[in-house]
Amino acid sequence: MADPGVDKWRIEPKTRRADGDAELFARIKDSDLRAFEQLYRGYHPRLTRFLGNLVRQPQVVEEVLNDTMMVVWDKPDSFRGASRISTWIFGIAYRKAINRLRKLDEPIDDSVCQDQVDARAGPDQQLADGRIAGVLGAAVDRLSADHRAVIDLTYFHEMNYREIAEIMHCPIDTVKTRMFHARRKLKRALAGDFSDWV
Amino acid sequence: MGNVMHLHMDRHAMTQRLLPWYVGQSLSIAERAGVDAHLADCAACRADLAEERALRADVVALPLAEDRGWAAIRRTIDVRAQSRVSWRWGSLPLPGAVRRAGWLIAAQIAILLIGAGILARQEAPARYHALGAAAVPRAGNIVVLFRPQARERDLRAALLASDARLVDGPTASDAYVLQVPAAHVSASLARLRTDPAISLAQPIGTGIAR
Repeated sequence: MADPGVDKWRIEPKTRRADGDAELFARIKDSDLRAFEQLYRGYHPRLTRFLGNLVRQPQVVEEVLNDTMMVVWDKPDSFRGASRISTWIFGIAYRKAINRLRKLDEPIDDSVCQDQVDARAGPDQQLADGRIAGVLGAAVDRLSADHRAVIDLTYFHEMNYREIAEIMHCPIDTVKTRMFHARRKLKRALAGDFSDWV
Repeated sequence: MGNVMHLHMDRHAMTQRLLPWYVGQSLSIAERAGVDAHLADCAACRADLAEERALRADVVALPLAEDRGWAAIRRTIDVRAQSRVSWRWGSLPLPGAVRRAGWLIAAQIAILLIGAGILARQEAPARYHALGAAAVPRAGNIVVLFRPQARERDLRAALLASDARLVDGPTASDAYVLQVPAAHVSASLARLRTDPAISLAQPIGTGIAR
């Protein structure tokens, strides 16, 4: 199930990754294509996961991912150095994904998703079958794009709320609030069986 | 008193909002100390912390898009296979698990029996004897399929433990024919079927319990 490529980057300490990014980025500014390829390959699994959770359409994920990385190649000078390079790249990816969702008329914020009900088997039944992942996966699917983004950036990409606020271009308190509500929804989806689950 | 309650509620709300990053160890030292202090006093937040750890672990373990895609294709294949099995095996009084695996077992048994049949034909007594040719006894009584990952020493151990000799193979279906003492066929068969190096063991010939 686990993608070995994803595991590879996840166990790499953040500081070492950041140092490697900075070195590659300096070469990319000098139009070093090999450095860009290395950066692209390094970010591909992470962005695929992030964008996959956001836009949920494989063909769109690949397009948005490449659009994002083209910005890195075409406009490296637009990175001012005020944040990590990874935060900057994820920020580009997030904005491009949200723009694409708007064009597809998909809900971005929580106002539309709040009361959606899953038409599939109820949580009790699915839990009874031992399919926690199924219940949780369906619950994540029902979250708004913004809620999915904070969940993914926090849990999977292990980013702190300041980095997430920069990526999503919103106040820190908004990140905390989105995370709070997203978690509450996931817990609610797992309903009374949560204590058994823990 | 009211102020104390108010302060507690503020810390409680703050802790609730910071728990994901507390678990992720990305809070500042001051924030972490504040959460630690509140957790020591608040049983509800300690329970939430346990939930938060479980939630995080399960979200991280959720399958990636490609895994979901594969799972969807796999479901389609399983449903198709199941409908074929129920058509062929539906009328037989078999347990559900056997019915589900029925098509696979049937295919393997068919391959083995075809292989064994070919061997049996080869073992039929010749109508003529070349002068000087010695009769070579190749009568096996069990046919087995070894697992692809089984190593040579696994095969040797399986044969020794079952008192079996390898008398022929591989057949066209990659099966091997074993010979075990006639009195121990059932015991050897039972032993072979539990051996991790062997995926399938079937008796050859009549009068042997399958």
